Amino acid sequence: MQAFQKDLKKFEGLNAQVLGISTDNVDTHKKFSDEYKLQFPLIADESGQIRKLYAPGRITYLIDKNGIIQFIQEGVPRNKDFLKAIERLERKP
Amino acid sequence: MKNVIWSAACTSLLMVGASLSFALQVGDKAPLFEGLSTKGKIRLEDFRGKSHVVLAFYFADFTPT
Repeated sequence: MQAFQKDLKKFEGLNAQVLGISTDNVDTHKKFSDEYKLQFPLIADESGQIRKLYAPGRITYLIDKNGIIQFIQEGVPRNKDFLKAIERLERKP
Repeated sequence: MKNVIWSAACTSLLMVGASLSFALQVGDKAPLFEGLSTKGKIRLEDFRGKSHVVLAFYFADFTPT
């Protein structure tokens, strides 16, 4: 999540909202956010309900403004790939 | 015997097909969700028409990556 913070301005500049999500509760998320100065929201999916709707494991989705999945990456997300994919979306008329 | 093997093969193919069709793919509608976050309640729908969303699932806070 620290890597997203590093590039947060770039994501925001491309009109993209970063959301982190794990089964940690809001309190733990807040401590984590304070420690690493994370300015984007971390969602507390304590019951794993949201995870169940998506997929198991370390996985990141790019969802466009219309709610359509445009890019999926498993493993540690690479910001460069996401920024490139978002740029492509922004160029679309 | 041949029939048994054949039907087992068909069944397993069907199961693979079913599991694949459940996996989300590019072009699919992202499942709607809402949840509590460090910045209050978040609903995926709230970003509709406003901004793209990078939704990053990870294992736990205070762990590497």
